[in-house]
Amino acid sequence: MFRTRRKPNEFSAEIEAHLQLETERLQEQGLSAEEARAAARRTFGNVMQAEERFYETGRWLWCDHLWQDVRFSLRMLAKSPGFTAVAVLTLALGIGVNTVIFSAVYAVLLKPLPFKDSDRLVFIEKKNPPRGWVRNPISPAEILAWRNESGVFEDMAAFSGSSCVLTGVGEAEEDPCEVASSNLFPLLGVTPFRGRIFSADEDKPEGPRVAILSYGLWQRRFGADDAVIGRAIELNGASYTIVGVMPASFSHLYATPYGTVPEMWVSGIGLSPEDTSNNYFAIGRLKPGISLQQAGTQLNQVSVRIDQVHPDLKGWRAQLMSLRVMLSGDTRSALVVLMGAVIFVLLIACANMANLLLARGAARASEFAVRNALGASQWRIVRQLLTESLVISLAGGVLGVLLASWGCKGLVALAPPFLLNSAPGLGGGTADLRVLAFALITVLATTILSGLAPALQSARPHLTETLKEAGRGSLQGPRSRRFRGALVISEIALAMVLLVGAGLMVRTLTLISRVNLGFTSAHVLTLRVPLSGPRYKEPQASVEFWRRVVASVEALPGVESASVSRGLPIGDWAGQFFTTADQPNPPAGHVPDANYVVAGPDYFRTMQIPLRRGRAFDEHDTASADRVVIVNEQLARMYWPGQDPLRKQLRMGTAASTSPWLSVVGVVGNVLSQGPDYGFHAEVYVPYQQFPWVVSPDDLVVRTASTVGPASITHAVVQEVHRVDKDRPVADIRTMEQVLRELIAQQRMMMALLGAFAGLALVLSALGIYSVLSYTVAQRTREIGVRVALGAQRADVLRLMVGGGVRLAVFGMAVGIAAALALTQLMADLLYGVRATDPVTFGAVTIVLGATSWLACYLPARRAMKVDPIVALRYE
Amino acid sequence: MSTQEARERLELLQGTLDLLILRTLIFGPQHGQGIARAIHLASEEELLVEHGALYPALQRLEERRWISARWGTSANNRKARFYSLTPAGRKQLVKESTKWRRLTTAIGRILGPEAEES
Repeated sequence: MFRTRRKPNEFSAEIEAHLQLETERLQEQGLSAEEARAAARRTFGNVMQAEERFYETGRWLWCDHLWQDVRFSLRMLAKSPGFTAVAVLTLALGIGVNTVIFSAVYAVLLKPLPFKDSDRLVFIEKKNPPRGWVRNPISPAEILAWRNESGVFEDMAAFSGSSCVLTGVGEAEEDPCEVASSNLFPLLGVTPFRGRIFSADEDKPEGPRVAILSYGLWQRRFGADDAVIGRAIELNGASYTIVGVMPASFSHLYATPYGTVPEMWVSGIGLSPEDTSNNYFAIGRLKPGISLQQAGTQLNQVSVRIDQVHPDLKGWRAQLMSLRVMLSGDTRSALVVLMGAVIFVLLIACANMANLLLARGAARASEFAVRNALGASQWRIVRQLLTESLVISLAGGVLGVLLASWGCKGLVALAPPFLLNSAPGLGGGTADLRVLAFALITVLATTILSGLAPALQSARPHLTETLKEAGRGSLQGPRSRRFRGALVISEIALAMVLLVGAGLMVRTLTLISRVNLGFTSAHVLTLRVPLSGPRYKEPQASVEFWRRVVASVEALPGVESASVSRGLPIGDWAGQFFTTADQPNPPAGHVPDANYVVAGPDYFRTMQIPLRRGRAFDEHDTASADRVVIVNEQLARMYWPGQDPLRKQLRMGTAASTSPWLSVVGVVGNVLSQGPDYGFHAEVYVPYQQFPWVVSPDDLVVRTASTVGPASITHAVVQEVHRVDKDRPVADIRTMEQVLRELIAQQRMMMALLGAFAGLALVLSALGIYSVLSYTVAQRTREIGVRVALGAQRADVLRLMVGGGVRLAVFGMAVGIAAALALTQLMADLLYGVRATDPVTFGAVTIVLGATSWLACYLPARRAMKVDPIVALRYE
Repeated sequence: MSTQEARERLELLQGTLDLLILRTLIFGPQHGQGIARAIHLASEEELLVEHGALYPALQRLEERRWISARWGTSANNRKARFYSLTPAGRKQLVKESTKWRRLTTAIGRILGPEAEES
């Protein structure tokens, strides 16, 4: 098809030769040169037409026309740089935000997970809805029963997140690690980069202790040395042999749901059917053709049997989620809302664009009429106009993608850390082909949406009227006016929905940051120092370590108080069963539980958790003293309603427990220990000097004076820790404010993005009304002149002009409110403390949008008011 | 569309021009004017090829690779584009002329003996 074609001038040469030959022949027959030439021409027929016909068969006509159209469009657009700039920029913003959000949607929701047949992978946790537990780790007893008895899994692997202090290779370092069963790697479909994976023998707790390194750790700590295989390292004070290195491509995504990115995998998981401790997660590969629901049903049947064998697992049921759903979590609804929002922005941009094109089309009516009269078909004109739209959209698209690559960086900066963990591709920006394809589709959709209707409208032949009225350009039929009205109404309605969405997020963020968390987060620095290894085998050693660290940190200038704990408010939760002396034998499945916090003497003072009754811990609560406990108000209310909780007795564990009874010596205020979304839970606090063998504390909390920034003393605090023991790694150095910021990072991101989109929508739709009104005023200048000449007052003119625009705006807002009432339901789970139909938000947004619309109407209308009747009537 | 001639001439049937061009070229390469002239003469001046149709037809045949073209010099030393039959064109000619003969014979049978006319 792409053979070189004959050039038209070569064809002309051929015809010229033909005419010459014919002329010569006729001359030979005796005609004069002139007569011969004329006769030759006559017999040949219409030369021009032959040439034209040759030209048309000679190529892809449409291609040729397209090129003509494109060149013509570029000339037309270059002639009105103002229009072009506004149009391209509007569309660039619309396409840009769509590309940014789509790149996120793609990275988080659509991109295939990097595992073999990842759609058959399910993440297994358990739930106990009657007791309010939704997602809980599972026990070996359940893992083994579900794997062996349900018949729905090809295989199931278990793992448990942990932290490993790596010593013996340079400076001591703590890394997230994972105790994993040997079948985890084959189940995910990955093979090691160096060495081997665990053998089934190494799963046994008494088997050889071996470890696999992540590619990153291998590079960072072992200098990518191949000889690392077989080398002995020390993890948490025990000796392990390195047997393998995972490839760089091995993704941590399977483990992300519980928040870690493991750097090492260690053997010896030792699953036993008797073990009912809830310390594990599992990943299963469903047999082909088994649905998530079928699997759930099967596992529930197995659970009924487990209930009989293990009373302490009674009532728990498997909670299955496909890995994809697990990973995207709450982000899914956030992204769906954002995608909807940017589509709205694009629609508004398209409506604006359509409006501009309509006005332009009307202004160019005589041009089209002339072309029509000269034989251009209506279709040809429509095509010309669509080409202009396409050129604008393409320019907007290119600029939009450039803007988007910035926008993606901004998105990454705004995104909460867990989102970045679960979608490592988020920062990939627009470099993905699929994202570019999306941008291209957006460009085409934009062309059709914004260009088609105006093109059809403009190309409709009004030949005689237009040519007659040449120059007057009052070509605004009722149909075109209605169309413009509809555009404005939909713009306002779309903007309304976006503004309501943004407003709800603003309310959410204000409410959530005003919530009383039960402690004072300002001026608190927290850091973690894990104590492990032979050195801290004796509980007294860790008590001694912390006593010395706390004492020296408290002596630092600017420090008000310091303490230690295991478990911090917000997100650091450790559920623990307990029984009270008043009801030592609760029925199985109804054993009370509480958040278990190990705390030092000054913990409550440091966190500013109010003491309601009794006393806080002090130096005398040591191993040799009476065993004591402090409970929160919630626990006291639940288990000793109307009674004095002081001197009540409780102990950790279920009814069978033999742990010592503890006496309540104090009651403290409630803390939102799982964040604002979850409300108050029962909590127990035990002094670290009495229970270091249950769990040794590892969080150091430091409150600084109100004049000292908590982050500024970090270096001094770390130095004090290392003065006591230079081999201790210090991790997770954060201020409590940072913890809070991360907690509401998703809401913050949603507010920032929806706010930006709504702002864009507001500006665009205001521009929309403004341009329509300006156009109407310009069109009706003569009419206004007549009215003024006949005695109309300025106020009347103003009312007439503003009235038209405001009517559209009010109608648009009404439609918008109705749409918003329906659509904001979609974001209900992103909100906190405010309903999706919050009247305050709706009211405020109506006022803002109403005022903006009024202003957008008033400015052009003021011009109408100033119309001088003499000038207007002469205006033609 | 054609220049109207006073004398009544036969209109070429759709698609027959291609056949006539191929037939004409069987005697060797010829330029456009020569082809038109040859058809005119061979038809005993009954057929006048409308030149406006001739060149697009040549273009079409060339595209189908039934004829090929190159610039050459005419008998009276004038530069012209000469067309010649390709092997494929020769085959096409045989096919088309057989078809045409069968068609005209069939039509002739239906119309009956010529004598009845006039």
